[in-house]
Amino acid sequence: MIPFIELALNGIVSGLVIGLAALSITLVFGVARFPNAATGDVMSLGAFAALAGASASGTLLIGGVFGIAVAAFVSLACYFLVFQKLSSRPPVASLLASIGVAFVIRAVMGVVFGHQQKVFDLPLARPWRVLDIRFHPTDLKISLAALATLVAVFLILHATPIGRRMRAVADDPSLARVSGISPRRIMVALWLLSGAVAGIAGILVGIKTVVTPEMGWDLLLPAFAAAIFGGIGHPVGAVVAGVILGIVQEVATPFVGFTYKIALSFAVLLAVLLIRPKGLFGTVAGAR
Amino acid sequence: MTLLVENITKAYGGQVVVDHASLRVDTGGMVGLIGPNGAGKSTFFSLVTGFIEGEGGAMTLDDRAIGSLSPQARAQAGMVRTFQVPREYTHLTVRENLMAAAPGQAGDSLLNVFFRPGRVAEEEKALAIRVEEAIAFLRLGAVADTPAGMLSGGQKKLVELGRALMTGAKLILLDEPFAGVNPVLIEELSERIRELNARGIAFLIIEHDLGALSRLVPMLYVMDRGRIIASGAPADVLADPLVREAYLGGTT
Repeated sequence: MIPFIELALNGIVSGLVIGLAALSITLVFGVARFPNAATGDVMSLGAFAALAGASASGTLLIGGVFGIAVAAFVSLACYFLVFQKLSSRPPVASLLASIGVAFVIRAVMGVVFGHQQKVFDLPLARPWRVLDIRFHPTDLKISLAALATLVAVFLILHATPIGRRMRAVADDPSLARVSGISPRRIMVALWLLSGAVAGIAGILVGIKTVVTPEMGWDLLLPAFAAAIFGGIGHPVGAVVAGVILGIVQEVATPFVGFTYKIALSFAVLLAVLLIRPKGLFGTVAGAR
Repeated sequence: MTLLVENITKAYGGQVVVDHASLRVDTGGMVGLIGPNGAGKSTFFSLVTGFIEGEGGAMTLDDRAIGSLSPQARAQAGMVRTFQVPREYTHLTVRENLMAAAPGQAGDSLLNVFFRPGRVAEEEKALAIRVEEAIAFLRLGAVADTPAGMLSGGQKKLVELGRALMTGAKLILLDEPFAGVNPVLIEELSERIRELNARGIAFLIIEHDLGALSRLVPMLYVMDRGRIIASGAPADVLADPLVREAYLGGTT
């Protein structure tokens, strides 16, 4: 029993991180209306920038802030250079372009940072034991950071003017335009926010495991699965679905093996698309 | 705010929907636009608000040419429309619907939210007071925290009016404000429109309920097959044989 509880706890931690990535995807989908395949590589970029910042400054905190800022601004740059120009085309144009953007970011990371695995230089800590269940202090910090990010995003969406307007544009973009809401400011905020969230997700993955240029791309499909599972365009759903997926993946590992646990995400994704296409929390209107 | 529209035209695949239509709404004026179904009235609204692009003609707001402005720029200039089938941000509450419409908030910038939270909070407070006033004025207090998508058709019309108000519009284009609204609420809506007009807001109103509209506006334009065929005081216009023919379908 105990190994399963440990796996489940581990699943919650990685699920929260997948949930963050899904949140970034679902934010973009809700407002800009396309699935952004570059999300994963913005994650990796955030992790690499944080590594560089941490080794230059000597503290993880400053490195983290730097990593988040780089991810946010690269995300915004992608909007101005690519997605803004495609905004009047069908969503599939932006989706295909985002795959291209993902490759470009990954290639640049490969050239600049190399392909070796890198790790965050963290002090070693003993795992806690409660009732014979082991839990790493680092995992707790990762979870808290993920939760704090989620709370911050919800506060921005629900308690600030720009968040309200983002939700308004997600709800009915043309109504927003005739009411005098200019899409530009909303889009700037959206891409900064979704980039920052992706960056945080990447940094947390990097802290939990290792940093490679491919790490974000590998997590993209589980994150998509969580975003769809949660009801696309639904931030709470994305996070809840991420946690559920995380737990399912980890707990299933002893049965299906480490290599195949990721396949479970796709099984879940397929099942959701076939059985409940609007996801856990989605409504038809919410997916609009 | 004076709206001047001259000779605007729109055709879809050879079918002329709006045909050299001209119209004028003076500052603080109240003007009706009537016509049989399919006359091109809603298309006319879409042309004026910049939602679709026309062919030729000129439009000015207070002598400023608006023909090439984006819809949001026209709204920011002070002209806002509502819709025949009311549209609202369905997942936002009534209060949020109104708050989202207010222009020029510091909190519209994500950076201000982080780096100037004091100013953002102050503006939010001032905005909340204005929104409460609008909610009280429109008698929407009971549903202020209800998602707008769950309201009745008549209440949605009030929310639309409220949203237009919150943008600070000087000219509001209402597309069939009384359609699907019960008679009691029609009177109430008319009363609200009159009060707003008395405060200096101009209205251009498309409406099929000629009785209610004639009681509201001193000036009517009649559109038929894309053309303005008559204009003047409601009693005169409705007595015009050309107008009666258009409405009774007597034309060939």
